[in-house]
Amino acid sequence: MTGVRVLLSRLRGIFGGTTRLDEEIAGHLEMLAAEYERAGLAPDEARLRARREFGGVAQIREVYREQRGLPFFDTLSQDLRYALRQLRRSPGFTAAAILTLALGIGANGAIYQVLDAVVFRTLPVRQPEQLAIANLTGNGKSVPFSYPAYRELAARQQVAEGMFAASNAPLRQAILRTRGSVETVNAALVSGNYFDVLGVSARRGRCFNEADDRAAAPVAVISQAFWQRHFGGSPALGAALDINRAAVTIVGIMPSGFFGESGANAPDVWLPMSMQPRVLPTDWLDAPYYSWLEVTARLKPGATRSQTASALTALYRELPELGSPDFRVELQPANQVLAELNARTAHPLFILIGITASVLLITCCNVANLLLGRATARTHEIGVRLALGAERGRIIRHLLTESSLMCAFGTAAAAGLASWGSRALVRMEGWQLTLDPSWRVPGFIAAIAIVATLLFGLAPALAATRFDLVPALRSNRRTLGGGSPRQFFGKLLIVVQIAASLLLLSGAALLGRTLWNLQHQDFGFVRENLLRVDLPVEFGPGMVSRSNAQRPRLQERLQAIPGVRSVAISSCGPFSPWQRTGWASTPERPLQKTDYVRYTYVAPGYFETLGIRTLAGRTIDQNDRAGTPPVIVLSDTAARILFGKANPVGRLVSLTKIFQAKGAALVAGVVQDVRYSPRDPYAFQIYFPFTQSASPMTEAVIRTAGNPSALANTVRATIHDMDSTIAIGNIVSVQSQIDSGLVRERMMALLTGCFGLLALVLTTVGVYGVIAYAVERRTQEIGIRLALGARRPQVAAMLLRELGMLVPASLAIGIASTLGVSRLLGALLYGVAPQDGATLALSTSLLGGVTILAAWLPARRASRLDPMDALRQE
Amino acid sequence: MDNRAEVPYGTLDLMVLKTLDAMSPLHGYGIARRIEQVAQGALELNQGTIYPALLRLEQRGWISSKWGVSENNRRARFYSITPSGRRQLTAEAENWSRTVAMVNRLLEGET
Repeated sequence: MTGVRVLLSRLRGIFGGTTRLDEEIAGHLEMLAAEYERAGLAPDEARLRARREFGGVAQIREVYREQRGLPFFDTLSQDLRYALRQLRRSPGFTAAAILTLALGIGANGAIYQVLDAVVFRTLPVRQPEQLAIANLTGNGKSVPFSYPAYRELAARQQVAEGMFAASNAPLRQAILRTRGSVETVNAALVSGNYFDVLGVSARRGRCFNEADDRAAAPVAVISQAFWQRHFGGSPALGAALDINRAAVTIVGIMPSGFFGESGANAPDVWLPMSMQPRVLPTDWLDAPYYSWLEVTARLKPGATRSQTASALTALYRELPELGSPDFRVELQPANQVLAELNARTAHPLFILIGITASVLLITCCNVANLLLGRATARTHEIGVRLALGAERGRIIRHLLTESSLMCAFGTAAAAGLASWGSRALVRMEGWQLTLDPSWRVPGFIAAIAIVATLLFGLAPALAATRFDLVPALRSNRRTLGGGSPRQFFGKLLIVVQIAASLLLLSGAALLGRTLWNLQHQDFGFVRENLLRVDLPVEFGPGMVSRSNAQRPRLQERLQAIPGVRSVAISSCGPFSPWQRTGWASTPERPLQKTDYVRYTYVAPGYFETLGIRTLAGRTIDQNDRAGTPPVIVLSDTAARILFGKANPVGRLVSLTKIFQAKGAALVAGVVQDVRYSPRDPYAFQIYFPFTQSASPMTEAVIRTAGNPSALANTVRATIHDMDSTIAIGNIVSVQSQIDSGLVRERMMALLTGCFGLLALVLTTVGVYGVIAYAVERRTQEIGIRLALGARRPQVAAMLLRELGMLVPASLAIGIASTLGVSRLLGALLYGVAPQDGATLALSTSLLGGVTILAAWLPARRASRLDPMDALRQE
Repeated sequence: MDNRAEVPYGTLDLMVLKTLDAMSPLHGYGIARRIEQVAQGALELNQGTIYPALLRLEQRGWISSKWGVSENNRRARFYSITPSGRRQLTAEAENWSRTVAMVNRLLEGET
């Protein structure tokens, strides 16, 4: 207790002078002098006597001050003042060190801030740990719920606090019409108790509830992001939205952090379930066999997942006419689902933070080398201080204060850099993340700053103070031996720098090649001068017949635009937001479990317009009509999978799991494989003529004579002019669509490239510094050698020997660690192996070449010294 | 030759506490004078050393202080003993007596 009180009073005492003491002393002396005067002494005599009696005022004050404050802080402020003076004395060095540290720490902070937001993202709801996602599992697979099954189960169950249903898939591309313009929004149909069970409320307005759902109220709740995007933040409550031709009124806006219950998909608009028949073509609310809902339950406090799941299973199996004994209800913690998603999102971030950590390591080595060089320049000063009796610990503390001060300045700049960088990163990636400042981010930055300070500050300080006093004091700074600990330490720093730089350069090269491979791969079609027009599907009765009626006219009108070479119309083609999969079998080969068969519907002229080569037979043309025998076109891979080496043209393929002759289609031809997205792994493709199937068109693809984007407005106007009811989505060139699909790859390549370059520059500076220092140290010796007739190349070679086997050794270490670590890049790479020899050889020779150049320049300069000048130097 | 004794190490605090126990409140000068009076000239006290001691005791919460007016109409800091200071005094005084008794026995045994 007493200890705490003393400490507190001492802490208070740090701030505060000795005025109280001075006043007390003055009073004391006066009273004492008055006493002597009364005893008969003269006033002057009395004052003198009083002073003698009192003792040394200065000593008393000193003792008092030590007693009053904390001596540690006193010396600290002394150290800080001294360190500031030292830093001001060499502003160039200080600025370089602070800037390097700010970059190194800031890069780490920026990546960490994003990583923190991803990894620690939790469901934005009340007590998310109680939420569990319900799956209907049976026969080894999971199926979604139908609405009647959900309704009955939710109404009868009493084991969970609540259950809600949400559907995202069918309305992920809902059509939103606003005065002539058409865009797609991500809408979700949710049961009326959705917001209630999640335990969330609107930021503005209100959430809809079960009463709204029962009354089939045409209401909607929108996300903060959609509000900003669509309304620009102006009042939206009460505004009407036209979604899939149903009018709804906005009643609430959710807070910015709310992204729904899954995290995989953040809806723009939430609609009550009872709106379903009005926004989708068929009524699924009374369709017991149509499974389309994801159900989430909130467990009762204290109830376990397995208890709740078995109770729900029993209930489900007994549901009259809906339940089935083949299925059981499984509950998966919603947090775990989100955590798995977070881990996938975080993977590239973990790689980036590994990279920035290496950059920081190189940074620290560089600053340590600079400090070491400076400590050498200060050998004399340190020697004098040691000789005058300064403790080694005190001098180390001094040097460390200087490093900490630099690091503190660097960290302050880094904090700004980190917050700017993380925001830029999230914007670039297009993530829906809220970068809330958590205590972990400043904590992380502070922790790496401390580690960095110890790394770059402590070791040089130790090395700088460990030497014999005598040679240091002999004032000859240039003859300190080559075998001193600081020489060894300096070399160790170079090894670490070169090895880490190689790692970064190789990583950057691998990711750079990945980007190049993805951009320059053969997509199977000619991508230049190609314009894609998204035609969002408007679900509703008659959508197929309407599309069939519009299609030939649309093709004709687009064809007539000047600058258009040809027009293709398709459904579920490359870069389409829609994907259609199905079955395929031949008499010899039924569908295999691993088959992923993609269906694409095309109008005549499709393959010619996209430039997809025909490998055998013919493609789809005008003669394939509704009445003629059904035909299909196979991709090369599909043909090989279904028919092996045999000629597939004229053979039959059934679109069922097991071959059925009835309804089987005739293979008209084979075309080359097409990639639907840059990393598309599926090449099993089947093309159908629109005329023989029931699928609405989803896009038009236009081959233009010149720049495709220049035609976008004309195309939009032409379609609108032809039929103003057709919804038109994005119109962008295929090339820019490829590019926008490679945002992450480009970002990774760009960031690692920048960091690799930074590492290269820092390492070059480090190596240059070591040789330049050796030249400075040995100038006299060089002069003597030159004067005695040494040839210049010999002198240069002698200096280069300072590096000795350092460069090859560190490159070898770098190669070994690159081979070990690059596996981690695995899934991010494309078309290049993590341990690709050519890439490694290239980065090794680049780094080796640059380091040798950096060493050679000062060595060459030294060998050209005038011997007389060199000898005359101190 | 001066036969006055230096203040034995660590006893100044005890003397100050005892003085304040006998008469509080008292300013620094008064405390110094009182100690010298009691010692009857047998103690060589640098009066200034009283101030670090006063600060030390105050930091431990054994005495408290406040500004007041001295007999010659000057502002002076007056010190008084606190209850915990009294407890400390009792404990320290016992301790001191034990130490003195022990040293005495040791010295008597020698002769």
